[in-house]
Amino acid sequence: MIGLELTAAFIDAMVLLQQGGPAITGTGVAALAVGLAGFGAGYAERGIGAAAIGALAEDSISFGIALVLTVLPETIVLLTLVTLFLQ
Amino acid sequence: MSTRTNGSGSNYEYVTARVRSRRAKLFDEDDYRKLIRMGPGEIARFMEESEYEEAMNALGARYSGVDLIEHALHRNLANHFDDLLRFAEGRLYDYIARYLRQFDAWNIKTVMRGIYSDAERESVETDLIRAGEFSERRIERLLGAESIEAVIDVLADTMFGDALAGAYGEYEERAVLVPLENAVDRAFYEALIAGLPSEPSRATQLYIDFLEAEIDFRNIENALRLSRSGADVDPAEYYIDGGRLFDEEGIGALVANTDELVSRLRESTYGDDLDAALNELESAEGLSGVERALNRALLEYSRTLSNRYPLSVCPVFAYVLAKMREVDNVRAIARGKEAGLDPETIEEELVMV
Repeated sequence: MIGLELTAAFIDAMVLLQQGGPAITGTGVAALAVGLAGFGAGYAERGIGAAAIGALAEDSISFGIALVLTVLPETIVLLTLVTLFLQ
Repeated sequence: MSTRTNGSGSNYEYVTARVRSRRAKLFDEDDYRKLIRMGPGEIARFMEESEYEEAMNALGARYSGVDLIEHALHRNLANHFDDLLRFAEGRLYDYIARYLRQFDAWNIKTVMRGIYSDAERESVETDLIRAGEFSERRIERLLGAESIEAVIDVLADTMFGDALAGAYGEYEERAVLVPLENAVDRAFYEALIAGLPSEPSRATQLYIDFLEAEIDFRNIENALRLSRSGADVDPAEYYIDGGRLFDEEGIGALVANTDELVSRLRESTYGDDLDAALNELESAEGLSGVERALNRALLEYSRTLSNRYPLSVCPVFAYVLAKMREVDNVRAIARGKEAGLDPETIEEELVMV
């Protein structure tokens, strides 16, 4: 199924290219930027979250601090949302 | 606690966070100062209100006085180190498991010394630390062993078996424990670095670096001891392979010439950390001061490594060293108080960082 859809999308892109249009639209690039930023933030939060839970289990920080530290990388995703309005 | 090698994912973040906050809860200088001014009963009460509450309560019915303190210290130490293994996954688990086998080595040596000196079973049992790989049953069998030969039989199927069997002949010939103890130490240190990948990753390299530093410090301690005592012993017999500082041939010449040994140490990578120890050596105040300074230097070096490489095995090992040091310190205070030493003398015996 997925293979079929991908093929269809590929053909669409080829058709678009042959007609002289861009391979990907501005909105598409912006969406890609948001997605990649989300990916990076997730990777960063993985490590921070594990460390925060560890420190939380030892009672050495409060839950609030742990939460703030864990979601800190999320700010990069918020910043990339700007690209959606700039394109 | 066999070593797991499948699954490469290590959870350094989680383990390091837990270890660091546990490290922050160790007794600090103020606590030691308070402890030094207390009697044995007060020390026991102070411990009941700290980290050691659980162990003190669990053992309170069976032991009393300084014995209770000592048992509680060992029980707490074993619990903490078992926790480390519970937290860790993947390669990190493997590293920690290998490192904690030093308590197996310690237990074997304690049991052998007990048999050699005809000590009571209870007093040997007090000194065991059940944080290693040996099961309760094996430790029971070790304690029940009547002779050195029986101890070696019990250990035949462990990693110490071959080394001990090989050294037994020499033991029979000379009737000293040194060959057997060296065999245990060597078996332990060999297993530490055996079977690692030939092209070490960054994490493995840091593990090796830390161990090399520790082996170096053991060798320095032995070399200084031999050099000071002037005993006619072959230094190569005490030499542990795997360090960076010495090699087997070179160490003999260095032990014979103390000045050269000291200048060699000053130029080494540990020069700055060893400064205090070497100054102590030159002021010629006896060797126990030098050994304390060496221990302090090792602790400081391990702390430097753990700050420099936060997501590695270094913070974990630094914590293990610091925790062992705390147990030694509290025991020294309690035993010193029991023997009626004055606070100043006890304070000199402590290693604080």
